[in-house]
Amino acid sequence: MARTSSSGSSRRDVLKLAGLATAAGFGVRPAFSQSPGHVVVVGGGFGGATAAKYLRRAGVDVTLIETNATFATCPFSNTVLGGINEIDAITHGYDGLAAHGVQVVPDTVTGINAANKSVSLQGGTAVSYDRLILSPGIDFKWGEIEGYDEAAAEVMPHAWKAGAQTELLRRQLIAMDDGGVVAIAAPGNPFRCPPGPYERASLIAHYLKTHKPASKVLILDSKDSFSKQGLFQAGWAELYGDMIEWVPFSSGGNVARVDPATMTVYTDFDTHVVNVANIIPAQRSNRLVDTADLANGGDWCPINQLTFESTVQPGIHILGDASIAGAMPKSGFSANAQAKVCAAAIAALLRGDEPPSPSFINTCYSLVGPDYGISVAAVYRLNAEGAIAGVEGAGGVSPGDANAEFRKMEAEYARGWYASITSDMFG
Amino acid sequence: MRALLISIFGMCMLATAAAADETAPANLANACAGCHGTDGKSPGQIPMIAGMAAADLAAELRQFKNDQKAATVMNRIAKGYTEAEIDAIANYFGGM
Amino acid sequence: MADGITRVAVPETAAKGEIIEIKALASHPMDNGFMFRDNGTRIPRWIIHRFEVDYNDELIFAADWHVAISANPYISFHTIATESGTINFRWFDDNGDIYTESAKITVV
Repeated sequence: MARTSSSGSSRRDVLKLAGLATAAGFGVRPAFSQSPGHVVVVGGGFGGATAAKYLRRAGVDVTLIETNATFATCPFSNTVLGGINEIDAITHGYDGLAAHGVQVVPDTVTGINAANKSVSLQGGTAVSYDRLILSPGIDFKWGEIEGYDEAAAEVMPHAWKAGAQTELLRRQLIAMDDGGVVAIAAPGNPFRCPPGPYERASLIAHYLKTHKPASKVLILDSKDSFSKQGLFQAGWAELYGDMIEWVPFSSGGNVARVDPATMTVYTDFDTHVVNVANIIPAQRSNRLVDTADLANGGDWCPINQLTFESTVQPGIHILGDASIAGAMPKSGFSANAQAKVCAAAIAALLRGDEPPSPSFINTCYSLVGPDYGISVAAVYRLNAEGAIAGVEGAGGVSPGDANAEFRKMEAEYARGWYASITSDMFG
Repeated sequence: MRALLISIFGMCMLATAAAADETAPANLANACAGCHGTDGKSPGQIPMIAGMAAADLAAELRQFKNDQKAATVMNRIAKGYTEAEIDAIANYFGGM
Repeated sequence: MADGITRVAVPETAAKGEIIEIKALASHPMDNGFMFRDNGTRIPRWIIHRFEVDYNDELIFAADWHVAISANPYISFHTIATESGTINFRWFDDNGDIYTESAKITVV
């Protein structure tokens, strides 16, 4: 059978593959050799793509189901908003994974049948698995900010799933007149990419400083503190003067309501009429997990933090932003690190072995400007309670008193990190 | 082919042996790939680990851990590993 | 108070009988008395211990706060818009200071 890929597959190929995979559930194995089993991975982002690749490296049969033919990364999407990169530079396809022998199925999972160990696809077929990995990312809690729904997001983009929304926000920034106000509504914890809203403010300010220097960036925050706060605020003062204003929760920064028709953002106490509004709403795990009740009534999915297997449904592993992974932040780097540990655990479980004990790193780089990078890093292990916890004495943020050369080096390493992690996922 | 089979067998042995109480070398090393690329093959500005001799890599990690060599994030990260884990990581990459 | 900031939000107009939301925020460190400075001396307890709201001079909401309340206490509650008038807010802190805000509401 021909390997399918995102670019080369036809509907016919997909159906053929799905038929084979379903047959596998009845004991007829497709012609894979020596594999200890078949893993279906849902979602081709930082968690899913990495898991698919590393499972293949461990000799496991893998089917990756992903709605879109390409994946635009949230990391580095702020460089598109800042005019540093085009969207193509952060968009990746699945040919590399197909070359590793991953069966890439361009379809959307509509349901999970945990009892039958199969997922149903929008295309009408079902795919059976020995173990299932979900790396589905986030969904938004529409309506938590009054007036902010999917239609409002076409006027006031969230741009918190990269792609069309990123391009929409970029177009609005380009169209804005000099002297305009760009509002960014930052959500309460926990949410995808904790330093993200503040890197975004930085790189939007970089664009405005160059092209529209009388403009302002107004961050309306539902929190009183944020990731790498001291480093960001020092960098803002150094690079952008008073162009960026941060309004914390305790100064009335919490956005309660928006009116897209009048471009008005209402906080609990104030009214702001703005030119561009980037509303980043509160988040939860992707609603796909509800089809098997994997969030157990909450927003995020509880897992065994050794194997990432759901504590609600055996045989289903959940990675990345959707999972509750102890002290790890919801970041692309976390999902990539978790995926490799999960792949090793699943390969061991399928072979009847004990899953190896895990180790993780998370390093989040942020660009305050194109030549001004900052980072926060941590090393994680399982603690005695089985929860992922930071190793004491390790990690932390970039030094506050570092010189320009250090900041420039971290900006270079941020770009190097992006090249490396995307090759680790897709290459 | 024969060499490949032997190396796969060798890796399985390592993983099984480590499962008991210490962290598996592959799990330790794979975390490095997030910045240094798969198997330490960095395609960009991050230094390459692939091809380094185990002794050199171990020595450098110790220098980072003990702040004897300045870096950006590596001083912070290397402090998260024991002496034995540094050797395990170095041997994993050095043996590839 | 350190920052001297209190904020309130009351609808400017409401229909008679309508349930309205009232929000109030005070910038205050709410020092719990259990923390120490770098030099080892104790930071004394300094909190807002009581919050009151009057609607046309009638007490409609009150709360006693203790040391577990975090800095910058924010509170929102609902009441019924009965008549036009003034809503007065009072925060009482350990130093004997009282911070006040007031807002007008028109009920039609």
